[in-house]
Amino acid sequence: MGAVTDDEVIRKRLLIDGDGAGDDRRINLLVKSFIKWCNSGSQEEGYSQYQRMLSTLSQCEFSMGKTLLVYDMNLREMENYEKIYKEIECSIAGAHEKIAECKKQILQAKRIRKNRQEYDALAKVIQHHPDRHETLKELEALGKELEHLSHIKESVEDKLELRRKQFHVLLSTIHELQQTLENDEKLSEVEEAQEASMEADPKP
Amino acid sequence: MTIFSQSVSPCGKFLAAGNNYGQIAIFSLSAALSSEAKEESKKPVVTFQAHDGPVYSMVSTDRHLLSAGDGEVKAWLWAEILKKGCKELWRRQPPYRTSLEVPEINALLLVPKENSLILAGGDCQLHTMDLETGTFTRALRGHTDYIHCLALRERSPEVLSGGEDGAVRLWDLRTVREVQTIEVYKHEECSRPHNGRWIGCLATDSDWMVCGGGPALTLWHLRSSTPTTIFPMRAPQKHVTFYQDLILSAGQGRCVNHWQLSGELKAQVPGSSPGLLSLSLNQQPAAPECKVLTVAGSSCRVDVFTNLGYRAFSLSF
Repeated sequence: MGAVTDDEVIRKRLLIDGDGAGDDRRINLLVKSFIKWCNSGSQEEGYSQYQRMLSTLSQCEFSMGKTLLVYDMNLREMENYEKIYKEIECSIAGAHEKIAECKKQILQAKRIRKNRQEYDALAKVIQHHPDRHETLKELEALGKELEHLSHIKESVEDKLELRRKQFHVLLSTIHELQQTLENDEKLSEVEEAQEASMEADPKP
Repeated sequence: MTIFSQSVSPCGKFLAAGNNYGQIAIFSLSAALSSEAKEESKKPVVTFQAHDGPVYSMVSTDRHLLSAGDGEVKAWLWAEILKKGCKELWRRQPPYRTSLEVPEINALLLVPKENSLILAGGDCQLHTMDLETGTFTRALRGHTDYIHCLALRERSPEVLSGGEDGAVRLWDLRTVREVQTIEVYKHEECSRPHNGRWIGCLATDSDWMVCGGGPALTLWHLRSSTPTTIFPMRAPQKHVTFYQDLILSAGQGRCVNHWQLSGELKAQVPGSSPGLLSLSLNQQPAAPECKVLTVAGSSCRVDVFTNLGYRAFSLSF
C-alpha cells in the first residue's frame, strides 16, 4: 500500500510540477536556506538571510493563494457549464416537441390541400354543366309559351264547335223543310187521285 | 426475373417479395435501414419456392402471409417463415367452373370487417373465402374478361374490380350484387383506343377512385361516375395508390410518379428497374422507423425510398 500511494504521489507531483521549476524548488530552497540560517553564526548575514527567507515564504504563500483562487474559479466554471448543459437539454427537448407539432400540422395541411383539390376537381366538372338560373328561366319561358299555345288551341276548338253546331242546325232545318215539302206534295197527289176517282164513280 | 408482388409483415420489419419463378424472398427492412447495414443486409434473409407458377399477388393478415398465383392460395405463418424449410399452413383452390384449366389468381384483397379474403383472376369471377373456416362463400359474376385488380371501399363495404374488359365494377358484399359499373373506355376524355381498354390498376379513397391501364390514368368521383381529372401520362400504369395528399403511380417507365389531385405532376423519381409493377408503403404502426416505400418490377431489385424524393438503396433477390 505504501508503494501504491507513493506511485500516485509521484505521478501527481510529476503532473503538477514536473520539471521542478517553480513552487517545489522554492520550498526546497526555503528549507535548505532555513537550515543554513540556523547553522550560520553572524548577525547581519543571518538578518539578511532571514529577510530573504521571509520573502521566499511570502512568495510561496502568494502562489498558494493563487492556486486556491484558480481552484475556486474552476469549480464555478464547472457549475456554469452544468447549468448551460441543462438549458441546452431543455431546448433540445422543446425542439423535439415542436418538430412533432409541426409534423402534425403538416399532415393537417396536407389533408386540407387534398380536400381543396377534390373540391376543385368536382367544381370543374360542375362548371361544364350550364347555370341553374338560366336553365330555370328557359324552363319558365317555355312553360309560358306552352300555356299561350294551349289557350289558342282551346279558342280555336271552341270556334270550330260553334260553327259545327250552327251548320248542324242549318242542315237539320233544311231537311225538315224538305220533308215538309215532300209531305205536302204527297198529300196534294193523294187528294188529286181521290178527286179523280170520285168523278169517275157517279157516271154509271 | 420479374417481381410481381410485395407484402409487408405485420410487425413492419420484414418485406416479402414474390417473383415469376414462384419464389418468395423475405428481406429484413430493419437490418437494411439500420446505421450499420452491410451488403448482406440487402440480400434476402430467406428464399423459398412457394408456387409452381409466378406469384402474382400477396397480402398479409396479422399473422399470416397469403400468396396466390397459379390458381391456388397458400398461407404461411410469419412467425415461422424465417426458418429454413418452411411449409405452407394451408392451400386452397376456389371452385372453378371447369376443372381442366386452372385460371391464375391476379389479385387478393383482405376485407377485415368480415375476416374474409377476395380472390380474382382468370375466370372472370370474384370469389370470397372466409379466413376462419376456409370455405368459399360467394362468387360474384359480371366481368366478361379476366380481372386484373381489386380495391376495397371502406365506408360502405364495397369492392371495386377492374379487368381486361375495360369496366370497373362495384360490388356490394352484403347484397352480393353489382351496384355500379363504370365503362372507362366509353368516356372520350380518357380512352386511348390504341392502348386497348384494359384496366391495370385501381385505388380508391371512399369517394374517389383512380384507375388506369389502357385508358389514361384518371381520377373518378364515384357517386356521380364522372371523370374529374386526367393525369397526362402516356405510358400505361400498372400500380396506383393514394398517399396523404398525393397519388403515387408506377408503370411502364422507370419512374415513380407523384401526382396531385389537380392533375399536376409533382415529382418523377427514377427507380432502378426498367418497368415497375408494384408499390408498397410500409405504414405499419409497430415499426415507424421502417416507414418506407418499396418499388419492384421487371428486374431482381426492390428499390427502397426512405424519403419519397429519392431512391435510398436497392434490395436484391
